[in-house]
Parts: sequence; structure tokens; C-alpha cells
Amino acid sequence: MSSVFKPVCELSINAVRSSLLEGSLELSLGVFSMRIGGTEKSLVDFLLDTYRDVPARLGPKDVTDISVNVRAPNFFRKYIRRQVIPDPGFIVPAVPLPPRLAPLAMEMGLNLSVALKCCRMTTFHAAVVGNEEGAILISAHSGGGKSTLAAALMAEGYRLYSDEFGLLDMREGLLWPHPRPVSLKAESIEVIKELSGDEWMSPTLTGTPKGDIAYRRVRPSEIDSAAVPGEAKLILFPVFSKGCNPSAKELPKAEALMKLIPSSTNYHLLGEAAFNASINMVQNARAFEITYGNVEDSLMMARDLAGKAGL
Amino acid sequence: MDDRINIVAGHALLPADPTKRAELLEFADAHHVLGQMAHFHLEKASDKTAEVLENGLFRANFDHQMLRFEMDRLQRALIGTGITPVILKGGAYVATGSNAGKGRRVSDLDIMVGREQIAETEALLKNAGWEFEAGVDNLYDINYYRKYMHELPPLRHKSRRTLIDVHHGLVPQTASYSFKSDLMLQSAEFIPGTRLKVFTPVDRFIHSAIHSFADGSFDTPSRSVLELHLLLQDLTAPEKSALVARAVQLGAAKPVATALYLLGQALDDTAAKDLRASLGGKAVVDVPIWAFKQKLLRPEKARAAKLVLFLRSHLIRMPVYLLIIHSLRKFLKFSRRLLSRKPG
Repeated sequence: MSSVFKPVCELSINAVRSSLLEGSLELSLGVFSMRIGGTEKSLVDFLLDTYRDVPARLGPKDVTDISVNVRAPNFFRKYIRRQVIPDPGFIVPAVPLPPRLAPLAMEMGLNLSVALKCCRMTTFHAAVVGNEEGAILISAHSGGGKSTLAAALMAEGYRLYSDEFGLLDMREGLLWPHPRPVSLKAESIEVIKELSGDEWMSPTLTGTPKGDIAYRRVRPSEIDSAAVPGEAKLILFPVFSKGCNPSAKELPKAEALMKLIPSSTNYHLLGEAAFNASINMVQNARAFEITYGNVEDSLMMARDLAGKAGL
Repeated sequence: MDDRINIVAGHALLPADPTKRAELLEFADAHHVLGQMAHFHLEKASDKTAEVLENGLFRANFDHQMLRFEMDRLQRALIGTGITPVILKGGAYVATGSNAGKGRRVSDLDIMVGREQIAETEALLKNAGWEFEAGVDNLYDINYYRKYMHELPPLRHKSRRTLIDVHHGLVPQTASYSFKSDLMLQSAEFIPGTRLKVFTPVDRFIHSAIHSFADGSFDTPSRSVLELHLLLQDLTAPEKSALVARAVQLGAAKPVATALYLLGQALDDTAAKDLRASLGGKAVVDVPIWAFKQKLLRPEKARAAKLVLFLRSHLIRMPVYLLIIHSLRKFLKFSRRLLSRKPG
């Protein structure tokens, strides 16, 4: 067994499978490292396909931030009408899923762990992309289009930090990458397929509790810079409204801050340090609410505002 | 026997093997002692291990901040009355800056007032926004608490969602053991600058021993034993020599003997061994003591011990006839809820 990280796709299918069975497949994903376990074949296929360029090792060779085991909810569901749930080591309200949706269970487990277990960063529910000049934080409710906009900006050449979390460290006030595949739903799947090309999209998981889901893979260049943080220069609050004319409105700093705080999963827990870091971030960035009716409009406005913010 | 508890208590180094280290950190997290462990090991740790330990401290710090805030609101709620509640357990350790409080998780505020003040305290807290926790806010449960228990039903604050447990005794009124908690209340000391009190350091150790070994089923073994170890370490020499007599006076010789025995066995605590010897009596390992030891040192395997402690926790809480009636009521309530549950 080697102790260096290799892209998942360079590991053999048997190695990945036996490592998952042991619960010892270690993935390095920017600021967080994760240990995964599971018995489902669908999980092996998903990791080899959708996580193909992500650094992994069979081990574990070190302590990890997060450990998720995708397992049956109880003894019976292991054999009869089989189901899986994510087990991140603490009690979570997880809907049992059929075995073919084990990848979704894993993603849910990883997201819950980042949101609830990791306290080194102030964690916002947001997507983040960036370039050498700095980062764009996109904050929206579920279904607000943050992942779609992030994936569209990736096609424009921005690098992905994370499609689910804005991770703000409290010492230097920088956003840190946690590049995992971008989760896309329903119509967004086709839109992003068109923008990024078929070869960057995972097979679609149909009939999930959230409808159809597909993932846009992370690019090797983004994995190479997964340890490089950036300063937030632009904060976007996209609002989807079907068929409306696109409009952008600059927000005062205080309002931007008050919109960001409720989206944080651990702001209340970190107290003063999170308050100071969030204020600093908002003070050094421009914030806009953008209302849009289709992806082209939101992308056009984001491109334009990024230019204004010096990105 | 494993040495996890010794590593958690800072007596041994973290394992060098990454798999064992990862397992230990997960064990500590699951047993709510990650923050305390961080306190002993963070300085020597690096990289991911340090980051995971830091996580434990962040959560403990949040708990402590919540606790200080709630203690402030508690004082406000009781202002102008003669009620000066004693802060129990974790709250007391944090408020007095004792080693047992460092990095400790605290989920709620436990307080104690005199039996005669319980009604007034309840009224004042309700007036200040606390209300009985959903699920026990029905007539049967409330009456059950009032008639048999040593505390009010848990009170949750309606806007802050924080929990406070108001005790007037140390164990249920129906319990087979009883302790002279009035003597502990009498010698409680003010926390400087507040209208809140804590038990004396000796009484805090005794209360912790009662809580672990004469009430409940020893549900957080590592945390409880670590707590006792640190509380004992914090005692001055005169306090240590007063411990045995005080335990006898309060009627708590047995749980204190169990605590001292386990500290000697699991953590090789020499002070505990000496005190256990001076407590006298035969050092027999009876069934409960065997079970405590199993549950502490083999938490994953000790099925028989867990069953013993589960049954014991109920049997020492109330006489068998009451236990049967109460269990029947709970069973009926449970089955009614199952039957009335809508499909889907």
C-alpha cells in the first residue's frame, strides 16, 4: 500500500472496493480530508467516475476531518428491501435511500459533516469560484441557482472552490477551497452539459428525493490549487424569478452581512471570531443582489459585476 | 483492558499509528471528551490531528459561552428574591475555572434550590420565558416529576431554546439511596461577584460520584471518570483528608468508594487508592462495580454490564411496584402513539 495520494481513477476497482469495505478510503479535498466507507457497488462506480481526478489513498494514513460510512439503517434493511443512509458518526435526520442512490447518501453525509462538525472555518451555505485576483461568493437558498451559476462560471475559466460551502478562515480572512463535484438538478443538468461538454458530467441519478441529479466533475487544475485560498472580492445573492428581466442591485455592506449570517451553519457557535471575520470579508468586497430568469442572464450579470470588482 | 481512558486523560501519548489515532479521536468525540482531550494533547499535536482536536475546543467554548449567558439570565430571573441557586456539575466546573471544566462539553444548566423554594423558582423561571419541554408537558409526566422525582420537568427557554434542570435533591424521592443534600446546600459557597453558588470542592467530588454511581446507568463512563479524576486532583491536601469523613456524613460512602476504586484501577490514581484504603470496609468487587468497570474499559463489548446497569438504574430509582405501574403507563402511551400514527 502506498502512502502517497493518487487520483481515484488510477486506483483499481478492486482496491477502491476493498478500501470502501474497510471504511478506509481517504480523499483529500482542499481544507478537509475525508474517510469513506460503504458496501454498495454504486458507490465504487461513482467514486471512480465522478471523483476520478480527486487525490485518494488506501489507508487511512492520517487522521481525517470527516468520516462517513454509507450503511444500512438497520439489520433488516441490509438484506430485505435494501436501503442505505449516511453515518457521519453523529445522529443526522437522513432519509433512507435505495442502494443505487448510495452516492447521494455519501454526498449528504459529507455535506452534513462539513456543516455541523467542522468549526475551524466560518461556514456559509454558498458556492465559491475565483481566479488569481480573488473569489466570488454566491449565496442563495437551495434551488436559488448557486451551483448552476458556479458551474457556468467554471466554463468561463473561473476555478471552483466549492459549490456548497464558503469556508472563511478566522485568522487571515480568506476563503478556502473544498473542491467536490458540483451538484446540478433538473434543467440545469442540460444547460451545464452544453456549456462544459458531456465529458465533464457524471451519469444522471434519476428519481432521487430531489429529482434528477448529475455532477459536474472537478478539473485537475482545481485540484492542484486546492490548497490556495483567496480573498472574497464579489458577493452575489442570485434570486431566480421565471421570465423576469435581469436586474442587479448593489447592497450596502450591512445588508450583505445580515443576509450572509443566517446562511452560516456555525456562526452562532464561533461567536466573536466569526463576527469579525465576516465583517472584514464584507468590507473588502462588493455585494449585489441579481434577479434573473435564465442562466444566460445570470452569467452575463456575474461576468459584468466580476469585471467591476476587479476579477 | 485498553488504555484509551489514560490517553484521554493525558497520561499517555496519542498513538503514532494513524488508524489507531483516528479511532481514538472518533471515540473521544462520540464520548464527548474530545475538548478535554484536546486540552492535554493539542500542544504536542500537529497537522490534521491538531485541527481535529481544535474542533473539540471550539464546540466546548461555545458551550461555555452559552452557559455564562444562561447563568446571567438565571440571575436576572431570580433578582430581588432570596433564592440563590447552586450551579451543579459542568456549570460549576466552568464557573469556578476548575480543571474539570476545561474543554468540557455542557449541554444544559443544572441548578439546585431548597425544597421549599422549588415552587417559587418554577414560577419565576416561567415568568422569564422558560417552559416545560415539549413531550413532558402533559399532566401525567408533570405530576410524575412533582411526586417522585428530585427535579422539575426540564425547562426550555422559548426563544433561546436552552435547557435548565431545576433540582431539589440529588436522587429521586423514591430512590433506594438517599443523601443529605441539605448539608451540601448549607455549606455551598457563592461564586464571587454573583448571586449563584457552587458546592464546596469536596462536595463537588462527592456529588459527581453520586451522579455516576448512585443514579442513572453510567451513560458517559469516560467523561464521568475523567471528571472525577480532575476534581480529585484539584483538591488541596486538607480537602483530600476531609473527603472520607464528609462522604460518610452525607451517606455517600458507597458511591465515593466506587469512584475511588475505579480511579485507582483505570487511571492508576494514587491519591484515590490511598483514600479508598482510608475509607475502610471490605474492598469487594460486587456486581455493579464489575459492571461499571466493564462499561468504562470495554464500552463496545460490555453488553451484559450494560444490561445490568440499565436494570439497576431503574431498580434503585423506585420500588418495583411503582416501576411496574410507571412502565405500563409509558407502554400504553407509546402503543397509543404507534396506533394513531398515520401511514406514510
